[in-house]
Formats: sequence, C-alpha cells, structure tokens
Amino acid sequence: MYKFFIVIVILALGALFTMNSPPNKAFITNQGEDTVSIINLDTFQVEKRIKVGKKPLGITILKNKSIALVGNVESQDLSVIDLKKNVVIKTLALKATPLGLTHNKDETEIYVTDWFNSQIFVINSMNFEIIKKIPVGKTPSGIAFNEKYSFIVISNRDSNSVEIYTEKEMRLEKKIMVGKHPYGISTEGDYIYTANVYDDSITVINLTNWQTKEIKVGDHPYNVIKINDQLFVTNSLDDNISIIDTKTFTEILKIPTGETPENLWVDKKNNRLVISNWGSDSISIINLHDMKNIKEVKSGLQSRAFGDFILN
Amino acid sequence: MKKYLFLMITLLLSFQLFAHGPTPQKVQESLVINAPADKVWNMVKDFCNIHNWHPAVEKTTCEKKGEDTFRTLVLKSGETVYEKLRGVDDDLMKLKFEIVKSPNPFTDFNSYLIVTKGSTDNESTVQWTARFYRLYKLNPPIPEGQDDATAKAAAQAIVDSGLKGLKKTLEAN
Repeated sequence: MYKFFIVIVILALGALFTMNSPPNKAFITNQGEDTVSIINLDTFQVEKRIKVGKKPLGITILKNKSIALVGNVESQDLSVIDLKKNVVIKTLALKATPLGLTHNKDETEIYVTDWFNSQIFVINSMNFEIIKKIPVGKTPSGIAFNEKYSFIVISNRDSNSVEIYTEKEMRLEKKIMVGKHPYGISTEGDYIYTANVYDDSITVINLTNWQTKEIKVGDHPYNVIKINDQLFVTNSLDDNISIIDTKTFTEILKIPTGETPENLWVDKKNNRLVISNWGSDSISIINLHDMKNIKEVKSGLQSRAFGDFILN
Repeated sequence: MKKYLFLMITLLLSFQLFAHGPTPQKVQESLVINAPADKVWNMVKDFCNIHNWHPAVEKTTCEKKGEDTFRTLVLKSGETVYEKLRGVDDDLMKLKFEIVKSPNPFTDFNSYLIVTKGSTDNESTVQWTARFYRLYKLNPPIPEGQDDATAKAAAQAIVDSGLKGLKKTLEAN
C-alpha cells in the first residue's frame, strides 16, 4: 500500500512537471512565404505556421509579456504574435522598413531599425504607441540591448558604423567605425560584436575603453553571437559557422550548416545552437557539448529569423 | 535648371551608396542528369569554359587578379557579363560565383551550384541557387523593370536554360 502511494505521488509529480515544463520553441520568419514557423526544439516538429505581413525578417520575443514582434519589410508593419495562442493579435503600421528588432530588459520598450529612412523607433510595449523616432546612420540593420550598461546598440550597414544609445534618454553615447557593411550585431557584458558582410570579418568593440578589434572569418558573415567563451559567426556564402575563442580572439573551428546560414540563437535548455538557413529553407541544430550537427529541420521558404527567435 | 540637374545628379549618386534592398530574391532549381557525379562536377567546376554548356554563352575569357579568378562571358546576344569565382569545393562538389557586372535587371547576384550523387552510378543531381536583389533600392512605388518580378524572371531564365544545357551536353557525350 505504501509503495503504491509512492508510485502515485511520483506519477503525479511527473505529470505536473510535464505540464509546467517551459516551452522551448523557435520562431522562424520565412521571408519567401510571409509566414512564421513555430518549431518545437525538443521534438523538432513544426507545430504551426502563422501568416504574417509581407516579407517578414526581424523578430524579438518578449517572454514575460508573452508576445513576439515580427518586422515585415514589404508591407511596412509589425505583426504582434500572442505566444499563448500563437496567433497574430495586432498589426502595427509603421510606414517604414523594419529590419532589426529588440527590447529592453524589463520589456517595456521595443526598438526597431528603419532601413530606408535611417532612423530607429522606440515603441511602448503596452499600448504599441511610437514614443520616439531617432535619426541614425545609413541603413540601420541590426539592433541589440546591452543589459550591463542599459545601452541600445545598432549597426548602420551603409555607414560602416555602430551607434550606442542610452536607454533612459536615448542619447547618443558613442559612434564607432567598424568593418564594411555591418549587418548583424549582438552585445553582452563589456563587448559589442558586429558581422561585417563585405569585409568577411567581425568587429569586437570593448565598451570599457572603446577599442576595436577585427577578426577575419568566412565569406559574407551575417551575424555573430557570444555563448560562454566563444563567438559563433554565420558565414552565409560558405555554408558554415566560425567559432572564435574570446580569450585569444582566434578562430578555432568551422562547422557545416545548411545552405546560406544567416542568423543564430541559443537553445539554453538543451545547450544547442540554432541557425536559420535561407538557402535550404531550414534550421540547423548544433550540440554545443561536442559541436556536432544534430538535425536539420525544414522551416519554410527563405528562413531568416533576424533577432532573438527562441522562447525558452 | 542647372540647380535641378545638380540636385538630380546628387540624388542619383546618393542612391548608388545603397548596395541593395532588404529582401534577397531566390531562384533554386534542380535537375537530374544521367551521368556520373564526377563527370558532371568536372564540367561544372570548369569556370573558364561555361560556353561549353550554357546555351546563352558564346565565349568565355578568364583572367587572374592576384588570388582571384574572373571571367568575361560574351553572350550570344552580344552583351558581356563579368563574373568572379568565389569558391570551388571538391569535397562538397560546390562552385560559387558572383556576377560583378552585367546588363541584367538585378544586383548583388551570388550563386552556387552543387552536384550530388544520384541513386545509381550513372545519375547525378545538380542544384543551382541564385541570391540577388532587384535594381530599385528604395521603398515602393517601384519603377517598372526594376522590381522583384523582373529581377527574378531574368535570374530564372539564366538558371533554367543553364541546367537544361548542362544536361543536354553531358548526356550527349
């Protein structure tokens, strides 16, 4: 009887954990079919495809608010996705070309780069009203939020520059020249990283002394992120990623991906890297323990997912 | 009048600073060829002899600039196309090249061909993928002839006729 009771308790707890286990999903913008694929990163199943605006590219996930925002470059608007129901609940007209999207740490503000009009939008995440528009360099592309310094950092592709803004006043703190055509940008701790498409390099910016360092990578790098002590760079025309050691700033390994890899984010739950492949309409999933490819999953036509596309 | 002309030239020049728009276009086609993969790959990777199989090309001239290889294609239409070799990978059987200059209605054209072994030794698949942008670099309205559809149609024609030509040439000998 006692044993039976224990079994029941274990089963009940197990069921509870399964029900409450956090979601672990990738939201991939498929620019060739105007959809977002929701891919379960535990089962590798495409759970749903949501129709959004025309030519979706950028995405940012506001976990605590349970919404994702998608930038549609051709219909010039943002789709707001409810992450509980996985449906578009709102479309925000911008009259702009939204490229990169991110948000601040407390998820009160959303930041969007406007490619053609060379400005960034600051949007209130409660009522989705535009709070501010700030003129920046030419064709602003990537945008990221630095939690340590409360900075918003952007890459201006055609100005070959990075601009750093303070969160509170949206004041320009610093402008720094980087390699040619910086597209993807990310930031963590004391550093900012840009992928310079025309220079086949990345630039590392040190926020404590504004020093920069350029590191050669593969053909047409699109984006770069830091995980632990390593940088991961998508070499879009080489169909692989470069891994760079941040202690020595040298490349230590290349790993093959699908065709034309563009963007990447980390699946923290499973300690894996997820990469969107524009050329093969898929995502590649790499195990960060042994740096081996685990799986390639078909997502949708021209998978891009420019931003923090994983919810876990 | 001179003022306006100056303004127009300035505007035109400033447009040139933009490399391309935010949405790359894609053409991706595959064709099964009844020939061994190594034979197909040898023809595909022969960068300086594309006139041997692409029906639109009359003549190919190659030149080296430092480490880089470029080719000039004289088309049967009389027009010329200037291209840069961006990579030859014998393991992946993948050739990458870029169109540097051409009369085509697209820009930033990057392309790759991949040969894979088929189900038998005498069968292969060639996949040709092209990534490029429309000519018009700004927001809608987009002028006729500079839009996505025009760019895509031109790239599609190059890829489709090329793959057919490759198949025909390889299966003939």
